[in-house]
Amino acid sequence: MRRFFVMAIAVLISAVFMIGCAEKKVVKPGQQEMQQQQQQPPETTAKEPAEKKGLIKPQERITEQQLAKIETKDELAKYKEESGLFKDIYFDFDKYDVRQEDKDVLQGVASWLLKNPPAKILVEGHCDERGTNEYNLALGDRRAKAARDYLVALGIGSVRVETISYGEEKPVCTEKTEECWAKNRRAHFVVLREAGK
Amino acid sequence: MKILKVQSFNKKDSMCGRISLILLSLTRKYHYAVIPAGRKPESSFSEKAMDSRSTDCGNDGHRLFLCSFVRQDSCRFPLVGNPSSIQKDFGRAGMTDLIRSLKLAGLLIFLLTAHCLLPAFADAKVYIDISSPGSKKMPIAIELSGPSGKEMSDVVKNDLEFTGLFAYVDRAAYLENPAQPFNPRNWTPIGVEAVVKGTVTEGKDLSITASLYDVFEGKEIFRKEYRAERGLMRPLSHSIANDIYYALTGEAGIFRSRIAFVGDDRGEKSIYIGDWDGNRMMKTGLKGNIILTPHWSKNGVKLVYSAERNRQWGIYLLEFTNMRERKVFSSRGTNIAGDFTPEGDEITFSSSKDGTPDIYSMNLANNKIKKLTSSYGIEVSPAVSPDSRYVAFVSDRGGSPQIYVMRKDGSDVRRITFEGSYNTSPSWSPKGDKIVFSGRRGTNQIFIVNPDGTGLTQLTSQGNNEDASFSPDGRYVTFSSDRDGVKGIYLMRASGESQRRITPRNLKAYGPGWSPN
Repeated sequence: MRRFFVMAIAVLISAVFMIGCAEKKVVKPGQQEMQQQQQQPPETTAKEPAEKKGLIKPQERITEQQLAKIETKDELAKYKEESGLFKDIYFDFDKYDVRQEDKDVLQGVASWLLKNPPAKILVEGHCDERGTNEYNLALGDRRAKAARDYLVALGIGSVRVETISYGEEKPVCTEKTEECWAKNRRAHFVVLREAGK
Repeated sequence: MKILKVQSFNKKDSMCGRISLILLSLTRKYHYAVIPAGRKPESSFSEKAMDSRSTDCGNDGHRLFLCSFVRQDSCRFPLVGNPSSIQKDFGRAGMTDLIRSLKLAGLLIFLLTAHCLLPAFADAKVYIDISSPGSKKMPIAIELSGPSGKEMSDVVKNDLEFTGLFAYVDRAAYLENPAQPFNPRNWTPIGVEAVVKGTVTEGKDLSITASLYDVFEGKEIFRKEYRAERGLMRPLSHSIANDIYYALTGEAGIFRSRIAFVGDDRGEKSIYIGDWDGNRMMKTGLKGNIILTPHWSKNGVKLVYSAERNRQWGIYLLEFTNMRERKVFSSRGTNIAGDFTPEGDEITFSSSKDGTPDIYSMNLANNKIKKLTSSYGIEVSPAVSPDSRYVAFVSDRGGSPQIYVMRKDGSDVRRITFEGSYNTSPSWSPKGDKIVFSGRRGTNQIFIVNPDGTGLTQLTSQGNNEDASFSPDGRYVTFSSDRDGVKGIYLMRASGESQRRITPRNLKAYGPGWSPN
């Protein structure tokens, strides 16, 4: 009985020992996690998944999906555009509030709109290049909307004022100077008439 | 009292020896001593039993010898004692007892030492531990001969060198030419530890049988036959580099991955896709007045991006399977594409359709939209964590643009950047342990931070650096930089080392996204 007991413990311990005792040359605790991360095998038609995980195969044919060129469809413009009727208004760095000195320009836009129904106006919002593209798009969006809100406050129906942001993507100059940057931080006005009118 | 003495000859075996002795002692019939090789026995046993000859039990480094104190010349392996001789020494009464226990002990010891004798039967040997910091670079020689052999060697060399784990030893130093069979004696004098050899044959297809050799052990680690159409020389070379990298580190290589980015060719913008090293760049033909950062789906067959066309911002999906572009969302206002969810069934994006830019998610199957943020300020740039539980994004709700993390349903919003007044463009590492972003400190620089806001580290310092995203293994980062004048796509290791440009100088390029595979 006692011998059996000792035997049983011995076999148990030796089994545990056998599993644990095998040494890798280099122990890599991170490797197990890596293997598990790769468990969701990303199915791809784009290329041979040879190196995904596991053993190196003895043979492999390398293939690749050829990417054909895409033609983007051109969409018809909804409006006829006219630029240059109004001056641009400008904004301080990282700001989107309408400045005191620009209120005359906005007054002029509002007056013109009142005299020229049913024309609409498109306000473009722009930024200088110093921020990152996506945040600058959002900032440009706020600038265009600030100008629009001012026009609405002056009595223009909001349906007549469209806005669009171009962020830092359409600068009027590209020098890395304060002067150029200041010129890019702007809202630009474009008159829209229905195509055909 | 019967005494058994066990001698061990190396550290591993003494462990085995000790365990077996402890078990033996459970029988309460034996005392034991363990005597390391070369040392005299402990003096706690009687002088008579412990004379110097009894230590001399033979040594081949791997075996346990059981020696009887009483008979100095009875050292055998494993436990073969001549019963009759033992009987003479221990007396009849003790002999059966001894034999029984010896058999038990023998079984134990055999079981315990069996694995010590077998070569490591667990996983294959790993040569380079890539998780240990400051590893020494492994000197490697690459000698692929035949037509295109030199170009292929160069591709493999550049791939392996960029990892920072290998030091390429130049061909000029080699003592062995490609035609000769591998001989470690040709490589140890110049310090090379791994050798890549292979001969290319060029027929209708390119074909090469490449081998990787271990100089220390003087053996071939693997041999593999590769075949490809002639035009696929670079992908073939990258596959060789991947296999070498896997064989030596145990990790999958990323050398067949690709980078998609926005290129501006004299005003004409399009999405380009090229190899991770900048080669084989291809214009996809997608046009837009303005196009922003393409995001890859996790299975690598779709891209989502935003484009302004005809005075409207739309979010578009490009499927590589049919090279078709499909508009998935459009509205008044500014719509900017964010990450796919890891499952690939949803995209995230920001839109100012409701007034101010907010974060949304959209199911691609049924086009249902869910609004995730609705604060008064600006919310843009959603980045979904690899485990699909969190979304990092940029918000100016605190007065300036900073990076926040929220749960995917929009709850539990936490700010994670507190230094600097302008932190934007977050992107997760593939393991979800880091977020890379762009912070403005005068100029825009790339930073890395833990998702809880700790561990802030700056990676770049020259020029304006934006739009960072990780490689599929998390070891490298791609970003755009204007440090050389025109904005271009750069790469670096995630430590900030080895920053290099991969797009040509005559192409304005930005918004890079690294493929997931």
